[in-house]
Amino acid sequence: MKKITQFIKKNKFLTLILLIYIILFILMPNKAITSLKNSFYYVKEMLMIMPVILLLTALITAWVPKKAIEKNLGSNSGFKGSIFSFLLGSFSAGPIYAAFPVCKTLFEKGASISNIVILLSTWAVVKIPMLLTEFKFLGPKFMIARWILTTISIFIMGYITSKLVKPKDLPLNDPQENYLVEPLRISSEYCIGCGICSEIAPKYFKMENKKATVINQNIYQKDLKAICKAIEKCPSQIIQLHK
Amino acid sequence: MDIFTLFFWIIAFIWFVISIMKDKKKTFDAIKMSSGTMKHIVGEIIAILFLIGLILTFLPPEIIKQYAGQSNSIITTIIFAIVGCITLIPAFVAFPLAGSLVDAGASIVPIVAFLTTLTMVGIVTFPLEKKEFGTKFTIIRNSLSFIFAITIALIMGVIL
Repeated sequence: MKKITQFIKKNKFLTLILLIYIILFILMPNKAITSLKNSFYYVKEMLMIMPVILLLTALITAWVPKKAIEKNLGSNSGFKGSIFSFLLGSFSAGPIYAAFPVCKTLFEKGASISNIVILLSTWAVVKIPMLLTEFKFLGPKFMIARWILTTISIFIMGYITSKLVKPKDLPLNDPQENYLVEPLRISSEYCIGCGICSEIAPKYFKMENKKATVINQNIYQKDLKAICKAIEKCPSQIIQLHK
Repeated sequence: MDIFTLFFWIIAFIWFVISIMKDKKKTFDAIKMSSGTMKHIVGEIIAILFLIGLILTFLPPEIIKQYAGQSNSIITTIIFAIVGCITLIPAFVAFPLAGSLVDAGASIVPIVAFLTTLTMVGIVTFPLEKKEFGTKFTIIRNSLSFIFAITIALIMGVIL
């Protein structure tokens, strides 16, 4: 019973759809069968493209040198910096909110406002695995046309925003943070739930409700290497260690 | 399997083999990480796919065409764009839904507006964005994204 409530809690949307189907099967079995048949084509197509997307996302994460790209985003990077922002966004993984802490860190390291807008928007709209899905379900012409138009829009948006918003308009990191006593911190609200930190350092991180949390603040010297690796691997860069 | 899917399978497979030869551990670590993220949205993906079946059964193409079929309807486009702003589904799941509506006769203009605002404009993530970048930046970025989403949609309607 506990397992069922847990499933429902984690999959509210799916439970709702299942319920509709069950009621439909009782009241209008014909309609239910038609609905299943209508879905079947999309399920089949999704199953064929999902493994490719998963694999490509993994390979991009493993081999695209994100750190090297980030180094080219400084304040005087000019047009080259914009291109690199665009590349970094295209090869990222995870939803847009995972991009916020990454962009904030880059901004503090000197990335310009326009490059931040370009990176955020690219991250949101034109990621490679998403383009593949769009290609599959809406066709190559649709995908390419939307990609070109979106790319142009993103660069214009970056330019306009940099004219309207100045770096001093952006808040600095909360100075209160420095007084916190906990050495290990994680901004769980940006966590995309990949679970890599709990995999690398299970003594310190645990997944709770799809979000990573710190479970142990007593840091041993011998574990430092694992913790640092978890910090480095985190796709939204939200783990911090204060010594 | 159509030729494009096959093409992507081949590319992914070749890259995968090269990746394993170069660094086995790195490859499998990355796969574990992506499947971790994917696991969380599997429920939503299945739900959307079966929702498509319901939509296609209970909203016959005539009705979809009537309400979302005209490419010149700016009001429909704006409504779809607003729905995109407040909806909270991974974009990746939205493509089959969008595809099914287009197949059923919906015009691409509102669909493009929906897809673009879905990913670029975030009402739900507004507080998080504000916390990191301030109110001014967040309002300007989201408003510009909304305007450009409509513009992209209208241009797509003309060229496709």
